[in-house]
Amino acid sequence: MKEFEYLKPRDLNEALFFAREYKHRKKFLAGGTDLIVRLKDNLIREDYLIDIGEIKELKGIERKNGEIYIGPTTTHSEIIESQITKKYAPLLVEAVKTIGSPQIRNRGTIGGNVCNASPAGDSIPALVVSEAKFVIKSLDNERTIDIKDLFLGPGKTSIGDDEILYRIIIPEWKENEIGFFNKLGQRNAMSISIASVAVKLEREKDNKFKKASVSFGAVSPVVNRAIRCENLLTERELNSKDYIFEAASCAVNEVNPITDVRATREYRREVSKYLLYESLLSLLGIGG
Amino acid sequence: MKTIKINFVLNGEEIVDEVPVNITLLDYLRDYLRLTGTKEGCGKGECGACTVIINGRSVNSCMVLIPQVDGKNVLTIEGLSKDGINEIQEAFVEEGAIQCGFCTPGMVMSTYCLLSKNPHPDEEEIREGLSGNLCRCTGYKKIIEAVKRASGGKK
Repeated sequence: MKEFEYLKPRDLNEALFFAREYKHRKKFLAGGTDLIVRLKDNLIREDYLIDIGEIKELKGIERKNGEIYIGPTTTHSEIIESQITKKYAPLLVEAVKTIGSPQIRNRGTIGGNVCNASPAGDSIPALVVSEAKFVIKSLDNERTIDIKDLFLGPGKTSIGDDEILYRIIIPEWKENEIGFFNKLGQRNAMSISIASVAVKLEREKDNKFKKASVSFGAVSPVVNRAIRCENLLTERELNSKDYIFEAASCAVNEVNPITDVRATREYRREVSKYLLYESLLSLLGIGG
Repeated sequence: MKTIKINFVLNGEEIVDEVPVNITLLDYLRDYLRLTGTKEGCGKGECGACTVIINGRSVNSCMVLIPQVDGKNVLTIEGLSKDGINEIQEAFVEEGAIQCGFCTPGMVMSTYCLLSKNPHPDEEEIREGLSGNLCRCTGYKKIIEAVKRASGGKK
């Protein structure tokens, strides 16, 4: 493993100070499930590791004013076990449950999953359809951005060199909302998504929905909303398989996948459609 | 070589040491303490052979940097079998859940973590609890039977 300088700030303020001091020469270490593998593979250029894993101000789950606030170094297991997220952020819990294995979820953090900005990060589609906001801090500034302004490309976010992700905020799940996260990987545990989809539907009456949010993971450089699918899903009542298939079929024009070791571009396009179609049928209880 | 002072509890005993900053907990256990019960399989968190317990939670020790262990409580397979083999290991032996044995310490540690949170898991919960551990010999069936036995669900 390469040599580096290890720094462990006592609190957020000191972490922000180090961030300003070392800027692009530093990497933050939280759970380390991604970073340590990359350190071993000599893929990390930075010389300073700033361990923010135990800073209290960056950890925990809170509910206030109709929103859920999650500290970035909260682990996936903590999100799965929290009564708050179970009740008020069930879609995020469902997505986070599919990450890695128990061992990975015990170490890996939601902030790490977000800040690595992998198009295959499994928390991301759930955060996109939840319209998450992100509070970002530096020594002398605090700003809040929408998720659509966070990701710039694979591995790239708009969080600056001297900034730290401070909170992830998602609106509370409402009683008239239903949704799902579904992913296709090579096996159940430990697999990186070939394609994934998160959906949130806000019910008007029966199977008529006034709002639909759809987001695919692992099939575009940046995880976005699939607007054309969303529009069709709110246009009519969702009772017929044919119409749901038509809505899901828009997926092929909404995604822009790559070919890699896990799947080809063409396969990912097609499978995105069927992933959405089959998940919708099962969510709405329409026989397949 | 950059070093760091660490102080943590390992299998009930306090460890105070000065070690290179860029090694993993797995490296430290095997190469510095000669506790070779914890195995290195893939080295990247895929196989679970290096599973240990930190503060009550199962982790892949190949993905824990040694400075991250400072102040923590670590349990390895050696700590589990201090007073002879423990009942989980007993169940693995009884059910024949071991062939080459390489994955066994990790399987036992994951089982320990699972049963400490959920003493009577059903089969699906067992499969989920062991989903981060690979075995290339047994086909898992006997391992699952062993966990059932250890949980008192099978005689």
